Amino acid sequence: MTKLLSPARSKVLFLGNEAIARGALEAGVAVATGYPGTPSSEVIESLAHVASERNLYVEWSVNEKVALEVAAAASFTGLRSMAVMKQNGVNVASDFLLHLTASGTRGGLVLVSCEDPGALSSVNEGESRYFARMLEMPLLEPSDFQEAKDLTKWAFELSEQIGNVVMLRSVTRMSHASGNVICGKLPVKSRKAHFEYDGSVMDSSRGPMISTPVVAKHLLHQQKLKAVEALFEKSPFNRYFGAAKPELLMITSSACFLYAEEAIEMLGLQKRVGILKLGTTWPLPPKLLEKHLRKTKKILIVEEVMPFLEENVKILAAGLANRIAINTFHGKYDETLPSAGELNPDIVAAALCHILKVKRKTLPANYLSDSQKAAALIPAREQTFCAGCPHRASFWNIHNAIALDGRKGFVCGDIGCYSMAALSPATGYHTMPTLHSMGSGTGLASGFAKLAQFGLDQPILTVCGDSTFYHAVIPALINAQHNRADITFIVLDNAGTAMTGFQPHPGLAISAMKEAVPAVDIAAICSAIGAKVALSDPFDLETTRKILTSFLADKGLLKVLILRQACALSPEKKGKKIFDVKVNELLCLGDACGCNRLCTRVFRCPALTWDRTTKKAVVDEVICAGCGVCASICPQKAIVKTEASL
Amino acid sequence: MGISNFGYPMNKKPGSQTKLKKDVLEQSLCTGCGACVGLCPYQVVYHDRTVQLHDCDLTDGKCYAFCPRTPANYGQIRESLFDISDVTPEIGAVKGYYLSRAADPALRAKSQHGGTVTALLGVAMDEGLINSAIVSSRNEELKEEGRLIEEKSQLSDYAKSKFTVSPTVAAFNQLMGDVVRKVGVVATPCQALALAKMKTVRIKDGDKINPLNLVIGLFCGWTLSVESFHRLLQLYQISPAALTGMDIPPGKNILELYTNESVTSVPMAEVDACVRTACRYCIDSTAEFADLSVGAARFGGDCDEMRGWNQIIVRSYRGKQLLELAVAQGALEIREAPASALQDLKNAAAGKKRKALKNIVEKSRSVKNLLYLSGDDPVVKKYLSMEKKKR
Repeated sequence: MTKLLSPARSKVLFLGNEAIARGALEAGVAVATGYPGTPSSEVIESLAHVASERNLYVEWSVNEKVALEVAAAASFTGLRSMAVMKQNGVNVASDFLLHLTASGTRGGLVLVSCEDPGALSSVNEGESRYFARMLEMPLLEPSDFQEAKDLTKWAFELSEQIGNVVMLRSVTRMSHASGNVICGKLPVKSRKAHFEYDGSVMDSSRGPMISTPVVAKHLLHQQKLKAVEALFEKSPFNRYFGAAKPELLMITSSACFLYAEEAIEMLGLQKRVGILKLGTTWPLPPKLLEKHLRKTKKILIVEEVMPFLEENVKILAAGLANRIAINTFHGKYDETLPSAGELNPDIVAAALCHILKVKRKTLPANYLSDSQKAAALIPAREQTFCAGCPHRASFWNIHNAIALDGRKGFVCGDIGCYSMAALSPATGYHTMPTLHSMGSGTGLASGFAKLAQFGLDQPILTVCGDSTFYHAVIPALINAQHNRADITFIVLDNAGTAMTGFQPHPGLAISAMKEAVPAVDIAAICSAIGAKVALSDPFDLETTRKILTSFLADKGLLKVLILRQACALSPEKKGKKIFDVKVNELLCLGDACGCNRLCTRVFRCPALTWDRTTKKAVVDEVICAGCGVCASICPQKAIVKTEASL
Repeated sequence: MGISNFGYPMNKKPGSQTKLKKDVLEQSLCTGCGACVGLCPYQVVYHDRTVQLHDCDLTDGKCYAFCPRTPANYGQIRESLFDISDVTPEIGAVKGYYLSRAADPALRAKSQHGGTVTALLGVAMDEGLINSAIVSSRNEELKEEGRLIEEKSQLSDYAKSKFTVSPTVAAFNQLMGDVVRKVGVVATPCQALALAKMKTVRIKDGDKINPLNLVIGLFCGWTLSVESFHRLLQLYQISPAALTGMDIPPGKNILELYTNESVTSVPMAEVDACVRTACRYCIDSTAEFADLSVGAARFGGDCDEMRGWNQIIVRSYRGKQLLELAVAQGALEIREAPASALQDLKNAAAGKKRKALKNIVEKSRSVKNLLYLSGDDPVVKKYLSMEKKKR
């Protein structure tokens, strides 16, 4: 039995995302969907593991909008369901979400957004809390692991109670940290699905699920939210810690609560500073807020990224102006706390010192200079592709084709491991100058390609991964074809959603629940659109380069090159080398004219290292994945590959 | 420290590759000879363009040293290769000057004019002067490459003039350090100069054996840019694959394009527009740095008779030796050229020099900046001052 199904009352060490999954199981979730994205992926992965035991339906959907739609269908039939995504996934789902909050839901439906302040594994610092306010739905934010489990379970009950979707927001430091959780009961009974639609249009429990008549339904929707406010006033997830009359009140939620607690302890300010921790952050319970705002004149709102809480508390306070004396608010607006990036206890402690004029026990005077000296000893490292990564070979080919073509072509980037080509330009051999959201590389390329009439004469390329292709590229690709955009579109097909941990996608013949499913062929889709399609192995440098240069020279049409080679870390490849690779030191030219360390200076696979004593390249056998590509680039044929013995 | 140089200090001095890019490629001086190609993974030829694939930061690179369009002491190169008393300002060293043709009529029929080059290479191979030859070869897309020939019988397959540039020196670069080979190269003037630099310019490069034993130079007024020439062919509805040959008949101011079905005449003005920019800055039309230089014969008024002959300049001792062998063996027929022919050639070559120097000064906007040439070189000085007087 997996730990996710531990018996009631047992204390289990759960990852934050596992705690969320356990909460959903305790609530009797039947359908769980999502699109992989750090830091959210483990919720669906954990549920997929227990799907057969718990009779769940779990799927990796093609994108977040579809995930929410699939989950909503279950809710409409009375089942409890959830859709899980990372912060920017909510943007993708938002159009459906707008209409879903208007139509209402039936079985408890929870939208889980795991967000990434500081963009530790994202290319944005998106905030989905504002969606809760904008689309008028309840927002819950756990601040420890027990709460992650308990709030999730309650979110389903709340959703069912108000007949609308509830959003639960986690952050990287919650989703990816672990803590003890005391388990509750797992339900024994399961519900039967049935979609009732014969009732009145205004009856969201029996009528059709639509957002019209819009104004009438909107009012109904807002009434539901009013009811939520009342429930939140009494919620045990909102708690106060500290003196009855503190000098400073911190209002916070999520992992920031832990930073706030730690900062107080660091500075020994337990008597002077109180914390109001909110688990229900939209709509704010006004009476609860009034009670605590009366405690003191000085308020510090501690939250990451956008000043969501701060704004909402200030709006409430303005309405209470005649009953509470106007308070002094500290937070992001007065720049007491940074307006971007993650917080930590040190940052919160510095804010407390600033407000309360407290002096912190300072570090020794030479700490900074000593640490700077030590830092200089750390070898400089950059983000790069793994040893044996097909993307390195792909970008090598792309770079060479662009250079040979000579018209200063460029690649519009997209989201995946290959985004590193934009984040560390040397890793992508300086080919990828744009990077935005999933699928937007192709859309941008489609746009660039239409600028010829304004003088743009550079060839336009774009890349996307296999999972990204299904997620959001197809409409952009159709746009390119329909509008006769001359682009070279390259699918970096590494046989899985590799960056987030090899979740299956529609191109594979296996589902999230390990069932056999039909694979959707990328080449067939592109051919059907009308593009000129070619397929190659990126490790075959010669063939791939030839296709690419001929594509760049073939003007006026949409060209698709599918570069297929499984990720070096993929379960089927991991640990298995195709080739044993060695450097023949006698042939290696090293840094002499004629080579100047092409492999270690330019190609830069992490398995190729430079021996400063012998001045020769060396293959690190432990790191080498045995792809053999470096043997093809060595001008001296000094890198020798032989069929691996295993 | 820039990210592209992670872990390694930036060189203060600009690298040879950067200099090559700034001084040659970006100045449109690149002749496409291939001297910087095949030495390393960084420069390659694509179509007829030299492409720098990746950055190299070495400061004493062969690419810059061997390029025929980088500054060098050209006087010293002449001195080390030729009898200085043979050197003429117009056409370089002259030990002998003749009209020549291959004795074998079948070979002449396959050749551009007299088949002299093929006959000379054949003799050089027979006599063990060389055991491999590098000639230029072209595919149906007009893409040229240097082709290594090891069998005498294959030589005549590559006999025709190509009019587009071939990265011949790149093929030779692949053979550097080969201790078994003795190589003969058929080279345009820029290629012959690159090969001469490789023999004479001292750079740090270990002690690789240079297997070059013979350079047969080709007279060359200009080469065509592949891209422009493609467009020209398109205009005349000739597929590159169908093109069997081309020639410039004397006195008509046209270029003739031959296919199996037809002969097409293109006015020289249209051809001029297709000439590679770099050729406008070239002062050498007779391959002055070769052992022997061969061109189409220009004499008398009988075009058809002329078509079957070459003119040949013998420049070095090795060239002289080869010519004598070829005549002695009966592979090559020679005859004395009329006195006016040499003077005509000199006049034409001097004209090219003056024009090129004028173009160079126009480009650099200063008589003090002659790009790859130096005003201290007596040859350059002579034609530069003539050009000045003319003005």
